[in-house]
Amino acid sequence: MSAAADPRTATPDDAPEQPSRHRPFSYLTAPNAPLYRAVMGVFVREKERYTVHLRPEEVHRLLPDAHRPDEPDTVVDALDRLTEWGNLRPDPDTTRVTAVEDFYRRRYIYQLTREGEAVEEALAAYDAGLGRRGALQAVALADIEARLRELLAHTRQESPDAAVVHLALRDLAGRFGDLADNARAFMGSLQRTIDLHDADVAAFLAYKDRLIGYLERFIGDLVVTGSAVARLLTELERPGLDGDPAVDRLLRIAAERDAEDAAPDGPGTTDPAARPDSTALAAALDLWRGRWDGLRGWFLHSSGHEPQAKLLRSAAHSAIPQLLAVVSALNERRSGRSDRSADFRALARWFAAAPDDASRHRLWRTAFGLYPARHLTVDATTLDARQADPVPPNTPWAEAEPLRISPQLRKTGTYERRGKPNRITDRTAERRHLAELNRKQAEEIAAARARLDTGGPIRLSDIGELDPAAFGLFLGLLGDALSTWRPGTTHTVATSNDGGMAIRMRVLDSGGTAEIRTPHGVFRGPDHLVEITDVDGRAAEEAYGQEAPGT
Amino acid sequence: MSPTRAPLEERNREQRRAEIRRAARALLREPLLRGEGRTADDFRLVRQYARELREWFDRNTGWPLQVDSEIARLRKSPGDVHVSTHAARETGGAKLPFTRRRYVLFCLALAVLERSEKQIALGRLASNIVLEAAEPSLAGTGIAFTLEDRGERTDLVAVVRLLIELGVLGRVAGHEEDYVRDTGDVLYDVRRRVLAGLLTGRTGPSMITAEPFEERLAALAADPALDAMDSDDLRNRSLRHALTRRLLDDPVLYHATLTEAEAHYLTSQRAAITTRITELTGLVAEVRAEGIAMVDPDDDLTDVRMPEQGTHGHITLLLAERLAADGTAPVPLARLEADIRELARTYGGYWSKTAREPGAERELVARAVEKLAALSLAETGTDPATGEPTIAPLPALARYAVGEPVVRTAGTSRP
Repeated sequence: MSAAADPRTATPDDAPEQPSRHRPFSYLTAPNAPLYRAVMGVFVREKERYTVHLRPEEVHRLLPDAHRPDEPDTVVDALDRLTEWGNLRPDPDTTRVTAVEDFYRRRYIYQLTREGEAVEEALAAYDAGLGRRGALQAVALADIEARLRELLAHTRQESPDAAVVHLALRDLAGRFGDLADNARAFMGSLQRTIDLHDADVAAFLAYKDRLIGYLERFIGDLVVTGSAVARLLTELERPGLDGDPAVDRLLRIAAERDAEDAAPDGPGTTDPAARPDSTALAAALDLWRGRWDGLRGWFLHSSGHEPQAKLLRSAAHSAIPQLLAVVSALNERRSGRSDRSADFRALARWFAAAPDDASRHRLWRTAFGLYPARHLTVDATTLDARQADPVPPNTPWAEAEPLRISPQLRKTGTYERRGKPNRITDRTAERRHLAELNRKQAEEIAAARARLDTGGPIRLSDIGELDPAAFGLFLGLLGDALSTWRPGTTHTVATSNDGGMAIRMRVLDSGGTAEIRTPHGVFRGPDHLVEITDVDGRAAEEAYGQEAPGT
Repeated sequence: MSPTRAPLEERNREQRRAEIRRAARALLREPLLRGEGRTADDFRLVRQYARELREWFDRNTGWPLQVDSEIARLRKSPGDVHVSTHAARETGGAKLPFTRRRYVLFCLALAVLERSEKQIALGRLASNIVLEAAEPSLAGTGIAFTLEDRGERTDLVAVVRLLIELGVLGRVAGHEEDYVRDTGDVLYDVRRRVLAGLLTGRTGPSMITAEPFEERLAALAADPALDAMDSDDLRNRSLRHALTRRLLDDPVLYHATLTEAEAHYLTSQRAAITTRITELTGLVAEVRAEGIAMVDPDDDLTDVRMPEQGTHGHITLLLAERLAADGTAPVPLARLEADIRELARTYGGYWSKTAREPGAERELVARAVEKLAALSLAETGTDPATGEPTIAPLPALARYAVGEPVVRTAGTSRP
């Protein structure tokens, strides 16, 4: 290693050679880590400005205030330590000096080593990865679209410029990588409900409008640009001059350039003797094809996969109502408005604050009232005995005739319930009797209904006389019809509750009074045209092949 | 009049009375009935007789009955807020009573559902609950949810299953087990009408500012409109409501638990109150010197039974016998546990296998004691001298006795 081999290096000769390749990371855990980190930060920033070498005085000056030591020598020590770890490389400072003591002082200029630079890049990526709040870049979409257009133009050329194609593809891959990373972070943070569990409420409320506006803009861009991107991708995948997808040629050009860059002893060093061999080319081409597939999977349907862009769009879409829900929850929490939601929240607090479980059960019963009634039982035998021989109300429980528990149950824990079987046998006769009664009554009702059936529109005044059963039914039907009657109604149709009978009524212009006579009196009212249909009866008749004679 | 000639009206009236009774019992058993699914038949009956039922409950208990096209809800509130034997329970398995965390989760879930869309996924419900739980005043009680570990997910699923049972949620797709294992999510319909009918009190809890727990509970159970007025008539009405509520809901009303005004009112109105209850529900008054029990000849208007078949029912019966034999003195639970070990030698053959295992006594006694306490047949306490938990028989325990062994039993000779 060149730094270690340099005779002017500050590395003490007796320092044990650390076997680890990751020695340049050592400074992160060294006692003075913040200072080291700051010093390296200076080098990284200056490198971005294309400054390669830095003198200790310059480093001292460029250090942020918080980290700048009073003594410039402290910086020199730090630089020496970093050189030791392999992060920096010292070179002799050959500039002119104007003072004797300066000449005698050991003078070096420092630059980042490749290892040191890699460490800084890794740290930057680490910080960025952790600090990412899931921002979505709408600009990335536009960039991707522009690059794709450029590539499409290249596919139409006879022999595209390899360097330009390579650059375009690399840029495309970079932008897309950013977008995908951000999207992943964004979806992740949405899943955690906008990171709000412990967030500062006021800050969130202030932030939310911007966030919602931003989301809406992003969704819009995703719809517009996303479809343009999808079109371009399809275009690029059309078969080109040689029959393969047009983009394949471009990918191969890029892969060839990558393979040329790649030297046998690893990336970075250029050795003119190294020729791109076929394995390097194949590997590079695979890499590019993989990137391309990733890109198309984002924007285009492939078999069985929704495009990522669509998933992202729906996630962003559903994030907006979710955000609004959070906002309204926060606002409600602040305003203390009383509604059911607030009631439930209050109850949650009460349950949490209740002194013990018994209190909580009481609170549950009182607040929700969903408990079932609970009663002791009594068997039929006991009940019968009590009816026959009532227990005086002032008898203590211990002295009253108790409820006899079946010895069978007492002994085994199972029983045929006592008393009930007897009752069942007792009741068969009654049942038969009731069934008979039911049948008779059903016949009576059927007869009354049949009597009431007018067989067509007739005047109320033509009904004449009705027996009590038929009249009862008639009153029910009339009630049903009149309940639909509104001022101005001249015609109505109603069906009885059980659907068995229907009535139509129409007002008669001639007016007049109708009378219906019953054994208990006379029913009077304004005359109407009515049609009463015994729907069930007629259906039954039809079912019996119209055997029943008309009554 | 001979039954064959029974006119139509008489029969209709009889049928009406039976149907109203069924509807009333359904409401008392399950105060929130839905028009769909399991409770559809009961709902239809309640809806048909809504007017009669509403009048009865309003007059006698002050419980509003609300019936619309989707739900029937009797807004019951207990006549005695001190009863702690009605816990919310998980719907399956051991039917364990809810814990502090589950009660809080239940309320937070409702708060979230109240604001949610027509459908909600369990994962979304969970994340919104976490958000609600972060509210400072709740977090201040020391309760916190992340719903990330399995135990908390299981708690949430127990809450969700109760909501499904109540009809607030209807499962559309997925299985809760997958959510517990973190391998899937579940989608539900939210039934807003049912949700709106869950709270029973006249005052929204968020409007109550009372501080200590007991005052909060009293404020929750109160009817501010009624309390604001003062007249003999209203006082009597609220006495009638309180007594009827207790007789309708609770197994035994002991005179010793009544206030002077209540006792006075009950003395004069006992027959009227119990008759009205019998007319509505078919429950029969068992009036004794120590109190009143409205006992159920149909044995289905209850969630706890005694006597009952099966191992736990049998053990409850045997322990009740031991308890009754000792008079009124409190018995240490430890002694009952020893009794179980002894009883197992005689009766263990009839018990389930788990009940015979050594060490099962504690659980068996706990369940039996819970049953006896729930039925107001015994009460739990602590021995002032030793601090040991005890149980003491209550008077109504004496209403049970083993029948004369004249009935044929397995093993004895048959006639």
